[in-house]
Amino acid sequence: MNTRYLRTVAALTSAYTKRFFRDKTGLFFTFLFPLLFLFVFGYLNSGNTDLKFDVALINSSDSSFAEQFETQLRDNDTFVVNDAATSLEDARDRMGRSELDSIVELPTGFGALNDIGQPSGAVNVYFAEASPISGQTVAAVMQLALDGINSELGQPAPPLTVEQKSTSASGLSAFDYIFAGLLGFTILSLGIFGLANQLPTEKKTGALRRLRAAPITAGQLVFANMLNYMLVGVISLVLMFVVALFVFDFNMRGDWFQLAFVAVISIILMFGFGLAIGGWAKNATQSAALTQIVALPMLFLSGIFFPRFLMPDWLQNITTFFPLTPVIDGMRLIMTEAKTLIDILPQLGLIGLWIIVIYAIAIRVFRWD
Amino acid sequence: MSDIITVKKLTKQYGDKTTVKGISFTVKEGEVFGILGPNGAGKTTTLEMIEALRPIDGGSVVLDGINVQKKPSDVKKIIGIQLQSTAFFDKLTLREQLVMFNALYDSRSNPDELLAEVQLTDKSKSYVEDLSGGQRQRFSIAAALVNQPRVLFLDEPTTGLDPQARRNLWELIQQIKKRGITVVLTTHYMDEAELLCDRIAIMDNGKIVTIDTPENLVKALIGRGFSKKQRVEQANLEDVFIDLTGKDLRE
Repeated sequence: MNTRYLRTVAALTSAYTKRFFRDKTGLFFTFLFPLLFLFVFGYLNSGNTDLKFDVALINSSDSSFAEQFETQLRDNDTFVVNDAATSLEDARDRMGRSELDSIVELPTGFGALNDIGQPSGAVNVYFAEASPISGQTVAAVMQLALDGINSELGQPAPPLTVEQKSTSASGLSAFDYIFAGLLGFTILSLGIFGLANQLPTEKKTGALRRLRAAPITAGQLVFANMLNYMLVGVISLVLMFVVALFVFDFNMRGDWFQLAFVAVISIILMFGFGLAIGGWAKNATQSAALTQIVALPMLFLSGIFFPRFLMPDWLQNITTFFPLTPVIDGMRLIMTEAKTLIDILPQLGLIGLWIIVIYAIAIRVFRWD
Repeated sequence: MSDIITVKKLTKQYGDKTTVKGISFTVKEGEVFGILGPNGAGKTTTLEMIEALRPIDGGSVVLDGINVQKKPSDVKKIIGIQLQSTAFFDKLTLREQLVMFNALYDSRSNPDELLAEVQLTDKSKSYVEDLSGGQRQRFSIAAALVNQPRVLFLDEPTTGLDPQARRNLWELIQQIKKRGITVVLTTHYMDEAELLCDRIAIMDNGKIVTIDTPENLVKALIGRGFSKKQRVEQANLEDVFIDLTGKDLRE
């Protein structure tokens, strides 16, 4: 590789990059489309999966204990207190319209001190007949809270208690789990759809023929395109991370540089697929058909939209070896489980194997026109 | 004048169809050599084999001492090519395109001088897709000149152009010839061949029917006893058109 070789690559890269950033439609699909996807899937998965109840709180008591109890209820994450209801009657109407899951009433005299100077009384929990489960759950949670207070007041603690605990113990949200899939989707669509579309178009217009009239090699052309897509891919992924961090409180557990390494080799891998398809196809019709055949199984079976563990065993065994699977798994392991490159060697090995296979194919099937 | 291109028994086959049938000819250094023929005669295929753009199935081409088949890349470095349907990248200005081609040839031509040479200075910031047909052809000649080629190949350079643009392109080709660059062009316009070419080869059906200077070909035809019904006219319709619309370029 000499300076002459690199001068050509640099000039082609610069030309491709300029053209890329001048294409408004292309920019939209490349950068905004994945972000739209991110927003849609992000919002679907952003709330944590814990139970939540919309309740109306009707406090008819004027005791200070009732006031404290109300404050605690409002602070409780399990309950979302809906203050729209003005009276018990109004609240019942709202519950009938499914606006509320339950009504918690602190009746007159609740919390008044009893004979031995301790607050007493009963909380009324109303629930709709149609959904008794939510009402019973609210009542149970309420009982639990009162039991806690009882024990603090010196009452004997019940021998058996239930404690509520979320399954996402490490503080990871559902979003953190799906984010790796969305990154994989972006890398795949950029690499495959981008080049598989671009090369046949350049063959058709004759731009590729004109380049070929100059003393350049296919290697230089590929190298330049790769650099261009690497730049575009990195920008696209950075945008996604910015949104993930600032909008969806993405929780990064692993090392950023190791993640970047996986992302870069993943872009190289997916670029290879686009190169093989676009290099082989004589026109856009051929490449569109082949792109669907190659990309759709990966999109649907590599764990972007459906978790792979829900698939039957035989399908899991097959999809383990799909090129996109180690990409998504590798990134997910780093991001959610703080794994290192050493830990994900199986994934890296599979990506490396696919890179060798797909570039060997791409070089064989490439045609200039 | 020495020969700069020597073509021997050049053959091209597509399946069982032979489109170029063992043709031989030479092009002298510094001349404008025209390949004439009807559509489908094999002109473009012949040109593309000489330009190292299409594999040679039989015979040989030696260009400035370089065997095209053996060293296609070396040949590409010293020739300039304007393809029949030359396409350039979209969304790239003329100046940017020339900077890119400069790098592809590892040459150091001045893009602004090249644009001035083909009268496109004021279009240097335009995209190719916004040019008129004549401007596009002139630009593709500018792009073909970045590497200061020994030979310039033009494939039907004036097809589809209006009379003004054609005349303008003819002048440009004559200027290029004056700089000592050998020009090989194809055309199916006889007036163009007669005006520009020092020698012409007439191709038909994959074979070269004859090669000579335009004057000799005409003389030979008359010598064979050919005579056309003569009606001496002081002007023809094209003269009227140019007289009424002027020689200035419309673009």
